[in-house]
Amino acid sequence: MNSAPSPLRFFQESAFGRYLFAMIAVALAAVITIAFDTIISNDTQVTLLLLVPAILVASVFGGLGPGIAAIIALTALLHLMAYREWLATSHEQIIIFAIVGLGMAWFGAALRESRLDAELQRQALQAREARLQAVLDTVPDAMVIIDERGIIQSFSSTAQRMFGYRDHEVIGRNVSILMPQPYKQSHDGYLARYLTTGEKRIIGIGRVVVGERRDGATLPIELAVGEINVEGERAFIGFMRDLSERQEAEARLQELQSELIHMSRFTAMGEMASTLAHELNQPLSAISNYLRGVNRLVTTSQGNVNTQMVLDALDKAAAQALRAGEIIRRLRDFVTRGETDHQVENVNKLIEEASALALVGAKEQGVRVRFDLSPDTDRVLADKVQIQQVLLNLMRNALEAMDESPERELVVSSRPMPGGRVEISVSDTGTGLSPEMAAKLFQPFQTTKKHGMGVGLSISRTIIEAHGGRIWAEPNPNGRGTVFRMTLASVGREEANGHG
Amino acid sequence: MDNTLIDIIDDDEAVRDSLGFLLATAGFNVKCHASPQAFLEAFDPATSGCIVTDIRMPEMNGIELLRHLRENGNLTPVIVITGHGDVPLAVEAMKLGAIDFIEKPFNEDQIVQAVTAGVGESRENARRDQQRQEIVSRLAELSGREREVLEGLVEGKPNKVIAGDLGISPRTVEIYRANVMQKMRATSLSELVRMALLVDLSGH
Repeated sequence: MNSAPSPLRFFQESAFGRYLFAMIAVALAAVITIAFDTIISNDTQVTLLLLVPAILVASVFGGLGPGIAAIIALTALLHLMAYREWLATSHEQIIIFAIVGLGMAWFGAALRESRLDAELQRQALQAREARLQAVLDTVPDAMVIIDERGIIQSFSSTAQRMFGYRDHEVIGRNVSILMPQPYKQSHDGYLARYLTTGEKRIIGIGRVVVGERRDGATLPIELAVGEINVEGERAFIGFMRDLSERQEAEARLQELQSELIHMSRFTAMGEMASTLAHELNQPLSAISNYLRGVNRLVTTSQGNVNTQMVLDALDKAAAQALRAGEIIRRLRDFVTRGETDHQVENVNKLIEEASALALVGAKEQGVRVRFDLSPDTDRVLADKVQIQQVLLNLMRNALEAMDESPERELVVSSRPMPGGRVEISVSDTGTGLSPEMAAKLFQPFQTTKKHGMGVGLSISRTIIEAHGGRIWAEPNPNGRGTVFRMTLASVGREEANGHG
Repeated sequence: MDNTLIDIIDDDEAVRDSLGFLLATAGFNVKCHASPQAFLEAFDPATSGCIVTDIRMPEMNGIELLRHLRENGNLTPVIVITGHGDVPLAVEAMKLGAIDFIEKPFNEDQIVQAVTAGVGESRENARRDQQRQEIVSRLAELSGREREVLEGLVEGKPNKVIAGDLGISPRTVEIYRANVMQKMRATSLSELVRMALLVDLSGH
């Protein structure tokens, strides 16, 4: 923008400066003419010749106006000189000089116009380039431009960071230095093949490739390549994104999520611990009763024991001991943090097992529980513990939602759906969902419970979606309450048999 | 022991069955019910000597059952069995007149003692009830005047005052009083007053 030094700009751009410059040029021409007076010895033609550059200079720098001003000044000068008889110039000569001068002024002005245009264009171009450079520097992707021989033409600052090379170290070298073996050797071949066959294997498609840093470390890169054609010169532009950070982030997220799943399972445990203690009390009481009864039977019978009664009671006591063991086993299965383990599972069995745990204490709350499990429900490929975690969560939520309800009915159902899917639903007759709550139901840390963390449904959705399914809530069609529905992809019967 | 029936109500089959077994070995006649509703359908106040019920049950819990019985004027002793940490519920049951509460898993002696006490109370109730019935039937034999005299006596009025109230002579009051003593089979005035207090005179 400010390429011209300021005195020059003053003489070129401001009107006063331009005319002043014209007058200076005229004065300078006059001084020179007078200085060379003795040499030119009043030769009219040489004198006129010496004056001409003033017009040219005035018009080239100042445009047509200053050029004409210079002509007027010069003709006036010539008239003065002719009048004083310093010079033998005729009126005709002066007129011809003026006309020729006019032509030169016009030419000079045109020259000036085009010069100014060029300057403006140069400035615009410079601005555009600066903007482009700024964009390329800001884009998180690294950018490398190579020519059709694979020689690096441009290497963005992100690329410099990604690969550890400075631009001057790589520009002019083959792009294969950014690749590890064996790709290093084959790249030229790829280029050559594309140039001859035009078959696009990466251009416009993009893929994940491996790059090599200056220090020899490799990194996963998502590469997109475009082709550019500048005046018959073909070049290729590659945009690269470092995936190692993203892969790390994904791994971390996954870790965090499984941590959370474990945590929520743990919290649910805490809530259930007291109910489970109650549950365990039942078989323990029964065992104690049977054994005490047997004791009494034996001590009071004085040798005449009713063996059948004793054996029956002992059998029943043993069965209750197993029942207690079963409760503990379920508890342990639940707490153990299972690795993700997808197996073909029977949906109805999944539901039954989950509800055995979830519905502990339900009947004491006066909740009527109904199962509506379709025997036609196909099996699913699922992580049993995770799906049961979701079911457990939904059922505990449903029970809680009905705490204050006059009518308390929990219905758990399963049914096959078209498209090889299975739908499981858990419906309650509780308070239902407010529209605000329904909107952010599955977002983390949303809760209506006093002691909830609000991660249950969020985790449930993560789990179901990881299984390729969907989970949503809707008002209970039977009036009050809510239905949670989830779908899972079922495994065809033949497939299931193949698996197991 | 005798044919007094113990009703056991628990929705958990194992607990119900084992408790029945235990009490049977202790010599009680036992009948088990899976829910308060089932119990109420089969309930015979005349034979039931004691009710042992779980507190936590669906639909109707032990407390509601107790309240229902008392509201219907049934005084059969009730023992509640509770799970761990149900003390507030147990206290509520005691306030409603349960004779005892026992925590699961229970001590054999404790439950047997409680049931024995329950049966005892029930028998005491029955005895008192029978006595009351007798008094009521004896009261029915009294004539109008005799009853008025009895009421005066229970209020602690001397013969003269009663005579004044009823507008008859003290001598006649003496005769009525002898008749009342005889019909009520009371050997002394104090026994007569006690009998009268056992039943609510004004209600008859």
